[in-house]
Amino acid sequence: MIDRQRVWALMRKDWLEISRNKQAIAPLAIVPLLFAAIIPAAVILVGNGGLLRTSVNGLQSFLDNLPDGIVPSGYTVEQTVVHTVIIYFLAPFFLLIPVMVATIVGSSSFVGEKERRTVEGLLYTPLTNRELVLGKVLVSVVPSVLVTWVSFVVYTVVVNSLGASVMGGLFFPTWSWVVLVVVLVPLVSFLATSLIVAVSGRSKTMQGAQSTAVVIILPVVGLLIGQATGLMLFDITVALVAALVLLAIDVAAFFLVVKQFHRERVITSL
Amino acid sequence: MSVSGLSKRFGDRQAVSGLTFEVTRGRAFGLLGPNGSGKTTTVRLLTGLLRPDGGEVALFGERLTEASADGLRARIGVQTDTSLYPSLSARENLRAWGELYGLSRATLDVRIDEVLEVLGLSERAGSLVGQLSKGMRQKLAVGRAVLHTPELLFLDEPTAGLDPEAANDLIAYLTGMVRAANTTVIICTHQLHGLETLCDDIGILKDGTLLTAGDVPTLLHRKWPAQRYSVTVGSDPARAAEVISSVDGLTAEVVAGEVTFSTADEDAVPAAVAALVRHDVPVRAVVPQRPTIEQLYFATLAEEGAA
Repeated sequence: MIDRQRVWALMRKDWLEISRNKQAIAPLAIVPLLFAAIIPAAVILVGNGGLLRTSVNGLQSFLDNLPDGIVPSGYTVEQTVVHTVIIYFLAPFFLLIPVMVATIVGSSSFVGEKERRTVEGLLYTPLTNRELVLGKVLVSVVPSVLVTWVSFVVYTVVVNSLGASVMGGLFFPTWSWVVLVVVLVPLVSFLATSLIVAVSGRSKTMQGAQSTAVVIILPVVGLLIGQATGLMLFDITVALVAALVLLAIDVAAFFLVVKQFHRERVITSL
Repeated sequence: MSVSGLSKRFGDRQAVSGLTFEVTRGRAFGLLGPNGSGKTTTVRLLTGLLRPDGGEVALFGERLTEASADGLRARIGVQTDTSLYPSLSARENLRAWGELYGLSRATLDVRIDEVLEVLGLSERAGSLVGQLSKGMRQKLAVGRAVLHTPELLFLDEPTAGLDPEAANDLIAYLTGMVRAANTTVIICTHQLHGLETLCDDIGILKDGTLLTAGDVPTLLHRKWPAQRYSVTVGSDPARAAEVISSVDGLTAEVVAGEVTFSTADEDAVPAAVAALVRHDVPVRAVVPQRPTIEQLYFATLAEEGAA
């Protein structure tokens, strides 16, 4: 059984703390701004083919290998580049937003407590291991999802307002993107945060946890995101199946993290 | 609380060895010992944070196990000196903790005000904990531990870093709370000043082993069966000592200008006073010099060191 009030109390406490930590808050604004506004704006503004294709590593190869029928017929070269980059190429990068936010908030909320030794107080409370892990995971998942959704809105506004003249009208979002953002983002965020909490249990400092996350978690999740978005964007059925698989992985990861969470290990590593 | 044969080892270091003692409801137990003696490990074992290598603990009549620990912890309060959140205010710290223990908003509002008032922190309720003095943080940590009115309260060095006045105030508050709410208290400390008013029972821990445990009067009597008395007289102390020594079984001496004698027989005291009166020695006061927990602590550790 999970006591929702206790989990909520833990989350509120953590959010209050994080909201007063400028070092944690700043990246939450900067990273989404980069992915949701600056990069897509640059793509559209310099999206006249040559410069973009040669300057962005892998883009030409991506364009060359697009399956038939992905780009609507009758598009000019410029429209094809903008369409593929905005709709397909940036999707995996965009999905790194929740992972990055989760890394920052997750390491701050859990390893931060270890670093300050405040976690000992929490361990004395009636919070069960499951509630503690769930609370710490959701503390990161909720803002990372919200930040990504806000970024999605910003992305939509930016690409449509800057790209409408090139594309001949509103062209974003597609249904695939909606599924991706609404379904995949929370699942990816939950998985990334669960892994970070698992890593945090063995890290003594926030820097240590973030380094481990960058070295181990980001590549794994990034690979998963790359594969999943590649599949999802081309077929909604595949997208939903991938989401179900990811949901199963999330549930398994959560219970594994709870099982691996031992108060004795936490308290003796302070 | 019942503890039987409790042991814990970390690697090749035996942190706690064969602890056995009991604390009944509403009593305050002082777990005393120097730094590194195993007090904190004991608290962690008694609250289920650490799994013992041997022995068992029962709280409120229920055996402490991994499965029962979370439920039992809801009835326990623990004060430690590091667990407050410095970026939250005193009130926010209390509110967060009350919510974790399931207190309703209305109850919390009342309890937070009560606790802040009793601890003299009402005016600093909105201050960030990081801006409070060490003494205020200590008080707040105690306040947080008692917020949900626990049946069993663990205090880890609650008076460390407090000035004597603040330490006395805190001990007085805890004593009042124990008596009024029938709360059982386990206080781990090596700050021995003022413990007589709070502690009913004590245990002295050294190198993870309990050297002695029991109720304070019994332990003191066992250690010093004879009671020491100090006599203030209105004439020559040396003559008064001579008169008292003439009473059967008494030997008096003059220490720092005061006449003192020891006896295990309480009836000898009026006999000594009568002898002084018979010999025209004015008796101003006869005061029993009760040994303190501090004296018992050092005597027990010294005895152990000599052994």
